[in-house]
Amino acid sequence: MNDSASSRQRILESIRSATAPVSSEPGSENAPDRRVLPRTYIRRGTMNRNACVERMIDRLREYEAEVAECTAEELPATIAAQLASSGKHIFVAPEGLPAAWLAPGFEWKVDRGMASEEIEQAEGAITAAFCGVADSGTIVLHHSPTEGRRALTLLPDRHLCILRASQVVETLPEYFDRCQQTPMLATFISGPSATADIEMTRIKGVHGPRFLAVILVQDEIEEAQSGAKAS
Amino acid sequence: MTHAVLDPTLAPPFPEGALPVLRNPQLRKNVAHAMDVIQAKRAKLVAEKTDWPELRSAASAIRAHALENLGYYLEQFEARCTAAGGQVHWAADATEAREIILGLLRQENATEVIKIKTMTSAEIQLNPFLQAAGVGVFETDLAEIILQLGDEEPSHIVVPALHINRGQVREIFARQMGLKDLSDAPHALTDAARTYLRQKFLTVPTAISGANFLIAETGGVAVVESEGNGRMCLTLPRTMITVAGIEKVLPRYEDLEVMLQVLARSATGERMNPYTSLWTGVTPGDGPQRFHVVLLDNGRSRMLKRPVERQTLKCIRCAACMNSCPVYRQTGGHAYGSVYPGPIGAILTPQLMQLQHAKSLPYASSLCGACYEVCPVKINIPEVLLELRAQVTDNERRQTVRFLDPLYLGLRVANLVFSRAWLFHLAQRVARIGLRLFTQKDGWIHSLPFIGAKWTQTRDLRGLPRQTFREWWTARAKEAK
Repeated sequence: MNDSASSRQRILESIRSATAPVSSEPGSENAPDRRVLPRTYIRRGTMNRNACVERMIDRLREYEAEVAECTAEELPATIAAQLASSGKHIFVAPEGLPAAWLAPGFEWKVDRGMASEEIEQAEGAITAAFCGVADSGTIVLHHSPTEGRRALTLLPDRHLCILRASQVVETLPEYFDRCQQTPMLATFISGPSATADIEMTRIKGVHGPRFLAVILVQDEIEEAQSGAKAS
Repeated sequence: MTHAVLDPTLAPPFPEGALPVLRNPQLRKNVAHAMDVIQAKRAKLVAEKTDWPELRSAASAIRAHALENLGYYLEQFEARCTAAGGQVHWAADATEAREIILGLLRQENATEVIKIKTMTSAEIQLNPFLQAAGVGVFETDLAEIILQLGDEEPSHIVVPALHINRGQVREIFARQMGLKDLSDAPHALTDAARTYLRQKFLTVPTAISGANFLIAETGGVAVVESEGNGRMCLTLPRTMITVAGIEKVLPRYEDLEVMLQVLARSATGERMNPYTSLWTGVTPGDGPQRFHVVLLDNGRSRMLKRPVERQTLKCIRCAACMNSCPVYRQTGGHAYGSVYPGPIGAILTPQLMQLQHAKSLPYASSLCGACYEVCPVKINIPEVLLELRAQVTDNERRQTVRFLDPLYLGLRVANLVFSRAWLFHLAQRVARIGLRLFTQKDGWIHSLPFIGAKWTQTRDLRGLPRQTFREWWTARAKEAK
């Protein structure tokens, strides 16, 4: 590693000599001041909760994701119906998923450190999510115990994601506002796996799940009626 | 088709490199089609974003700020990444980077490696090096598979196989995967790639990636992709090696709120690309348990010195500049003789390499400014092109061999003539008499002999008028008296 260490020094010296303001003394570097950076773009949306959820659903459908809506009470039945309509039987679930979500009548594999080959055998995966961004129809996973390890939502051909309406924000900056802690792992999913590498034709499903289904759980009906939040 | 050379030290000058595409109507059609599709999608999605100018300003400022404080942020990245279980290596040039990567593969006893598309690895010509060292390299991005199996070179940084149409892809896959009955429907070709790589994803224990962004605040790395091949490589193997240019650093995680909004719209004309992955060092129980980052300089720190050239390093590799470039549209990517084609390549390649290896590239532009207009981080590409042109000229002027070069000889003569009125008038008269021989009845010169033919081969020249403006003016004054 000696070579790498001396290269490190050379590269950093070269950078510092190129970027140092003429006046500053060597070694006097402080944390850079980021306050000067312009942040005049739209940080908060203006839509009310209902419109925001509607936008999320529209965007997901544009990506050809299946979307179902239900109340918190209806969730287990909606999950069962969704799984049944897929015609598949073997599903994986992260360890932290509520037991009520594992609909009876299917073969469930609960991930407690399963090997990739085993996850690959499953026909679908069901997980919760951290956040939904309506503007781009993006689902963000932070891979908590209810969202599962990364391989879970990658190897099986179907991903059923349960998203609560209260988790949906309008703009991408609002997602970052919701991150009280910076995640160690995050996956942003905007529609099923796709490519446009052959003649710029968008084709669904290359390596990731070819089918994305989302159940939106209406968990904050009261708030939805109070209209747009002040920013 | 002749094989493209993407090594600036070996590639022909741009005008020569452009000829194969200019002479191949199919290739020009493939390139123009792809450019039309991407440009239309981008324009639509940028127009719907009412705060696009503000996003661009923020993206530009964040990137400029990261570069101004690059030393600070790189050390911060290194410290945080190491604390999270990653190992950071520093490579001053391509040779060092290749050696570091091969050393890591040897530690792992790796005989095979799966790769996510990375232009940085193409820049250091990693694949041929690893193959020569006995490591089997498997590209996993669909376009990269097409190129690897077809023994082709990338012609674009986002859609590198855009010069190859579905019929040609079918032919490559049928031959290399042994699928005689493969159809040329894009979904059939995509399925073939899925099946071809599934086993590799599950069994090859070592992967190599690039990075779209390095997050200084957390030591995290972000990779932006569409297919899920990236997620496979980032999740399933035991060991992950990421090679990234030192300029890829962003100060904070939340800076992604700007970069992700401008990147996908500019690159593929999508509101968001299907998958973006962020990981930080090693996470127990999830993904590779050994993680290395190779930070590559390879000429970059030198580019920081002067503000005009420094802006080149703001680039986030979206390719909007090549998609909008009237020159790229005609020539395709191979003409640039580098893995970085188009307007950004025309300024990046000459600076990464020694200028003499790529001195035709700063001229591969009409300076129309379309690239600057679409650039999401506001790199003033025409300004950098002009600066590089000045450097090319300054270098050449100093060379004694240039003394008898027709161009410089001509310029010296012109300098002499234009600075003496009597000589200028004499030259006008001589030229008028001389050119009369070649002027046709329609008043145009259609062909000139000798060096003049270089002009008339491709354009006509207006014959000189019988009277110059000065002669007319003097005659008019005399008549008035």
